[in-house]
Amino acid sequence: MLTADRVDGVVFAGAPSERSPGDRKPRFAVGEAVCTRNRHPRGHTRLPRYARGRVGVIWRIHGCHVFPDSNAMGGGEDPQFLYGVRFSAAELWGEDAEAPGDSLCLDLWEPYLERP
Amino acid sequence: MDGIHDLGGMHGFGRIEREANEPVFHQPWEARAFAHEFVIGANIDEGRHAIERLDPVTYLSASYYARWQLAHERLLIEKGVVDAAEIEARIARLKAEEA
Repeated sequence: MLTADRVDGVVFAGAPSERSPGDRKPRFAVGEAVCTRNRHPRGHTRLPRYARGRVGVIWRIHGCHVFPDSNAMGGGEDPQFLYGVRFSAAELWGEDAEAPGDSLCLDLWEPYLERP
Repeated sequence: MDGIHDLGGMHGFGRIEREANEPVFHQPWEARAFAHEFVIGANIDEGRHAIERLDPVTYLSASYYARWQLAHERLLIEKGVVDAAEIEARIARLKAEEA
């Protein structure tokens, strides 16, 4: 519950979702190619359908953040490393990409990713 | 979930309409729906999932903050804070006051 004294901070800056990773280290490194898992959970996920089973490149490690797939379903925050992943339009849309040279960046949690 | 909310890449919705000088809220009730997000006792991920779980016709028919409002009602019912009959009774009372 948001109390009155915290309203300005939360509304203007957002509520931080970053958490301490403890002694865990990110599984993937900046510049590394990753493949998204082809998963279709019945619960919540932040991995869109068009980006499942696709290969992209890590461009940033955001730190360890609340895992929405767990937090939405009453499973607790279960923080996981969060990565900025860049995909080419051609990888996502194939030969129908309007601009195959464009790229799209998604913020994806570590459980969505595996080595290609 | 593979729901209607996951629209990325779908055809047939037309261009995104961009409104010049768009206000933060178009109607006063939208500001209240926004505020409710912080006090209903659900986290933001539960709120998003509740929107995803709206039935597809409702999802596509509702405006942005109407989806928030419908999701909040659903969460409040699921968490046992109010029941559906109480919400219906309030709607009926407000309609009567407007008439």
